[in-house]
Amino acid sequence: MEFYSYVNIFETKGLAYLLLMSFLVLGVLLIRYLSAPEKKDSTRTERKSVH
Amino acid sequence: MSNTAVFAGELKGFLRFLVQELRPRGPWLTPFNIISIPTIIVGLIILYYRFTLGLGSVTNLSQQYPFGFWIGFDVMTGVALAGGAYVVCFVVYVLRLEKYHCIVKVTVLNGLLAYIFYSGALLLDLGRPWHIINPIIGNSFGYNSVLFLVSWHFLLYMTVLFVEFSPTIAEWAHWKKLQTFLSSLTLGAVIIGITLSMLHQSGVGAMFLMAKPKIHPLWYSEYIPLLYFVSSIFAGLSMIIFEGTISSKIFSNLIGPKTHHSHNEIVLGLAKGAAITMFVYYFFLAFIFMHGDKWKLIDTSWGYWYLVEVIGFVLIPCFMFASGVRNKNFGVIRVASVLTILGVILNRQNICLIAYNWNIANKYYPSWQEIVVTLMVVFVEIWVFRWIVTRMNVFSKE
Repeated sequence: MEFYSYVNIFETKGLAYLLLMSFLVLGVLLIRYLSAPEKKDSTRTERKSVH
Repeated sequence: MSNTAVFAGELKGFLRFLVQELRPRGPWLTPFNIISIPTIIVGLIILYYRFTLGLGSVTNLSQQYPFGFWIGFDVMTGVALAGGAYVVCFVVYVLRLEKYHCIVKVTVLNGLLAYIFYSGALLLDLGRPWHIINPIIGNSFGYNSVLFLVSWHFLLYMTVLFVEFSPTIAEWAHWKKLQTFLSSLTLGAVIIGITLSMLHQSGVGAMFLMAKPKIHPLWYSEYIPLLYFVSSIFAGLSMIIFEGTISSKIFSNLIGPKTHHSHNEIVLGLAKGAAITMFVYYFFLAFIFMHGDKWKLIDTSWGYWYLVEVIGFVLIPCFMFASGVRNKNFGVIRVASVLTILGVILNRQNICLIAYNWNIANKYYPSWQEIVVTLMVVFVEIWVFRWIVTRMNVFSKE
């Protein structure tokens, strides 16, 4: 009968794989964040001319 | 009239023009002049003692610490901060992003001066400076050594940067034909320059590969060359943002309205590039940390110092750049660029000085003379930069 034993994530490459996946996911999010359409500039207010 | 007489007349006219151009312009009593002139004078006196009495008379260098503040700051850090020249040339001439064309000349000039002064400062640090010719003439030199590659690359890259900047000099001297010829060399020079830069930015890091037992394991890695190369990209971009901010204020009368107007757009593009490369760099550091299984080292005073560098001067500025780009907050971008520059300085000082020989009792601290000479080098570079930009067509007039 086979027994399962948990491996130490620090001793294996498990942590490196998790890091790689988070790098790819966060990289995509960063690019999306930087390339997102312009936010409206809150400091600029358009003045309507009053006649 | 004979050719000799024509040439003599031309030469005389040019010398008269040169003398006229060498005359100082503008007010003398500025805060920068008041600080820089005494520093340069004291620095020159220190250099006199350095060259007459030797390195030991003005530096704290020893057999344990052959690399001092002059190498650590001038060569290691200065070369990284000059990385903006090859990055911008790549962006403009290879990626064809014309938006950045107006900053090419000033960036190349900054790169050229940085290499001349910071690599030139190597002469101060060599015990026998006249031996600097040895790698060039191949005299008693290991052809397989990294230092051989780096010295040749420095020399070639300085030449390439000079070729890239030479059309501006020819334009200033009113040599029209020469300007046309030199302009035709630009693209070739740029391609060679990018290749050389990528190799020697990593080559500077590769010099530390042989110092494995001396560098603290948190900073030592077999990937130092890669880290040096990637960090030179965001170091250069941050330096362009920082210098551009100062130049746009001090030399605003020399910059054309169109360039002035597009300055913010350029800063946003550069900040975006810096954020992405810093993000990649941060994950490289994390991978190296995990691959090297350095967990045990983090809960020590060296570990905390390492976290200050990595989180305080890499991760936080990376977020600041991203947030600044997203919200078009130029104040945040400027602060991020200063933090990044400080971070690159800290990283190079850590590898070269602070975490170097970390386990020996007699630590190296730079002498006040070393600091004054370093400041002198920086000030002289700024003087030369100011002289050039106020006389030559460096900033875009559009």
